[in-house]
Amino acid sequence: MGKMIRAVVVPRALQAVMVAWTVGTLTFVLTRALPGDMAYRIAAGRYGYDNVDAAAAAAVRQELGLDQPPLLAYASWLWDLLTLNLGRDMVSNEPVWSEVTHQVGHSLVLALVAIAFAVLLGPALGVAAGLRRRGALDHASLALSTALRSVPPFILGIGLILVVAVELRWLPAAGHGGFAHAVLPGLALALGLAAVSSRVTRNAVVAVARSPFFAFARTKGLGEALAFRRHGVRNVAVPVVSYFGVQLIYLIEGVVVVESLFAWPGIGHALVHAIVARNVPMIQGTALVMGLMFVALNAVVDGICWGLDPRRRAS
Amino acid sequence: MTASATQRRADPASPAIRVRDLSVAAAGEIVRPMSFDVHPGEPFTILGSSGSGKSLLSQAIMGNLPEGLTASGRVEIDGVDVLALPRKAREAMWGRTLSLLPQEPWHALDPTMTALPQVAETHRHVRGLAEAESASRARDDLAALGLPPEAADKLPMQLSGGMAQRVVFAAAQAGGAPIVIVDEPTKGLDASRRDDVVALLKRAVEAGGVLLTITHDIAVARQLGGYVMVMRAGELQEEGPAATVLANPRSAYARQLIAADPENWPVAARPPVAADAPEVLRAEGVAVIRGGRHLVTGFDLAVRAGEIVGVTGDSGCGKSSLGDTLLGLLKPGAGRVTRAPGLAPHRFLKLYQDPPTAFSRHWPMRVLLDDVVRLHRLDPGRIPPLMERLRLAPELLERDSRSISGGELQRFSILRALLLDPVFIFADEPSSRLDPIIQQEIVALLAEMARERRCALLLVSHDMALVDHVCDRRIAL
Repeated sequence: MGKMIRAVVVPRALQAVMVAWTVGTLTFVLTRALPGDMAYRIAAGRYGYDNVDAAAAAAVRQELGLDQPPLLAYASWLWDLLTLNLGRDMVSNEPVWSEVTHQVGHSLVLALVAIAFAVLLGPALGVAAGLRRRGALDHASLALSTALRSVPPFILGIGLILVVAVELRWLPAAGHGGFAHAVLPGLALALGLAAVSSRVTRNAVVAVARSPFFAFARTKGLGEALAFRRHGVRNVAVPVVSYFGVQLIYLIEGVVVVESLFAWPGIGHALVHAIVARNVPMIQGTALVMGLMFVALNAVVDGICWGLDPRRRAS
Repeated sequence: MTASATQRRADPASPAIRVRDLSVAAAGEIVRPMSFDVHPGEPFTILGSSGSGKSLLSQAIMGNLPEGLTASGRVEIDGVDVLALPRKAREAMWGRTLSLLPQEPWHALDPTMTALPQVAETHRHVRGLAEAESASRARDDLAALGLPPEAADKLPMQLSGGMAQRVVFAAAQAGGAPIVIVDEPTKGLDASRRDDVVALLKRAVEAGGVLLTITHDIAVARQLGGYVMVMRAGELQEEGPAATVLANPRSAYARQLIAADPENWPVAARPPVAADAPEVLRAEGVAVIRGGRHLVTGFDLAVRAGEIVGVTGDSGCGKSSLGDTLLGLLKPGAGRVTRAPGLAPHRFLKLYQDPPTAFSRHWPMRVLLDDVVRLHRLDPGRIPPLMERLRLAPELLERDSRSISGGELQRFSILRALLLDPVFIFADEPSSRLDPIIQQEIVALLAEMARERRCALLLVSHDMALVDHVCDRRIAL
């Protein structure tokens, strides 16, 4: 257990700190680098161009510490970040922290639905294709995977809306409610993930089936199914799960676009709105939470790899 | 095989394996029709260099030929023609009637499973014993083979080559199959480990088992004794009792093969290294660490120009990592490596074990050599005389690595190294993937070149006889 904390938890915790620092610094620089009088620009974003006056600008200036010397402002900015004081949403005037923690729940649900779909579709298809290498299914899955992965998630999303929601009327096109609302955005994210992981799985299955240790398991007398269960599954799972960690960036990136497309009230949706409104505290809050979500999901992947692969535990 | 030979081998007490006119074919015939009998209690060895089709023969008997290959003829095991059986019925014999001891034990073990369950599962699923009984039997098996108790809970990567070999042996034997087919059991093992493996096999035969061994290693054939068949390119060259064939080979090929055994190499002239030869590389108290494992500690070495030093040890003992450390590709865990001053870094070079992986497959040799010439602004006129010296035909330059034999390719890697006027070459098992006959040629050529050009050579090999024949001195890891 102590070993796992050293090998998995500590590096990811450090990464989380680095993510928070990077996001904080970038948003700070971004705020300072806005052209013109930042206070007026931000106030305009907040109240509309017609309603900006000196009082509004002063309020913004005070809130963001724009009148402080840069280094001092940076220090107090980081201190706020450290104490999780993310400021107030400039549009709704709610504390950013309570907004993002609410939104991240929705995003996590969507991400988990996507991961669940991807895990159900990808590896299963990959195992089937790998066991019948160069069969019809293998060729078809290669073509399908290439097609799905080449299309960005928002095109997939629009395609799904048009076919499943508009034409067939099976599922709601957008919005938030029960599980039915999560299916299409989840699928839009999952298809790209499943496309890649099915090929990774397929290649891992082919590699294992050709490996000398699998051949030896067979010739020492284990049947094909038993040999695959005892020596195939774990050896296939290790690269598949590790690669899932690599793909998480696709998921996080996809969340932003897909949430906006399906009007899903999550963190990605909030990020897009915050950027449009120049709502700096919300940009920081949502970017921070998305970065941390990426780190947390990666930590889970690391933990699973740790459990799967005894070589990691031994080295 | 001639008809008279078949009759001579025919045994009224029915043989355990009776092979008649067995051939293996893909597009054309790869293994010519062969006939032989294997009897309980008498080791049977098929001897030949790689590419002679001997592994296909073992797979044909097992019934696990790769896709696209077909066997024809008759293979009778305990009187039943197994080639006529459906695949399922043949697979049912694996582990129970026939077992196969595979090449390269490390790769034959599941890298994600400790040793004990890999042996226990044969007891559990092939013999059908209970879980606890299987584990305790497996523990006994490993102990009987002289493995320390803690080895049972280690992963393959934590076992030495010799230990992994014994785990594989236990796992293959646990099903109780009376017939054992052994495919190159000593690949990558040094002489003492090889003797251990042969002793294990002999013990199995003496207990009444049936042993069919396939090897290129003449020492294995000699130690096993029994009956030997010599094969070349899918064709039988010679057969007879091991003692006779190995002592008085009649066929030209068998004579060549036996002469190429490092034990039988003629003693090469070894001019002493000049007393004033400058030192090119020095290692002091070097520790080699790879993947967190301490492979070598406190290593001291000083090599002089033109000196040939042999490095021996089992596979996995850190020979290659030591080379990487000496060449500066791997940071020493302790100590330091110093090079003689004033020598360009590209004059310290490495020769790889597997020639095909040392060349891009996509370009002809001419392009690959031209790249080196251009990069280092060399005189391209140096290539033709070197090719002649290394006995490489000029037309080979137009071919890519896939259409050049392993021996020729390794000579090209020597040429590529020599172009850079090396002062130090680390040759990592440069001949272990080559046929014995080609191996002898390559090693002799390499030693000759090093002496001639006053280049220090570290020659890594698991074969002590080879090292002793060629090197000025030997370091055992």
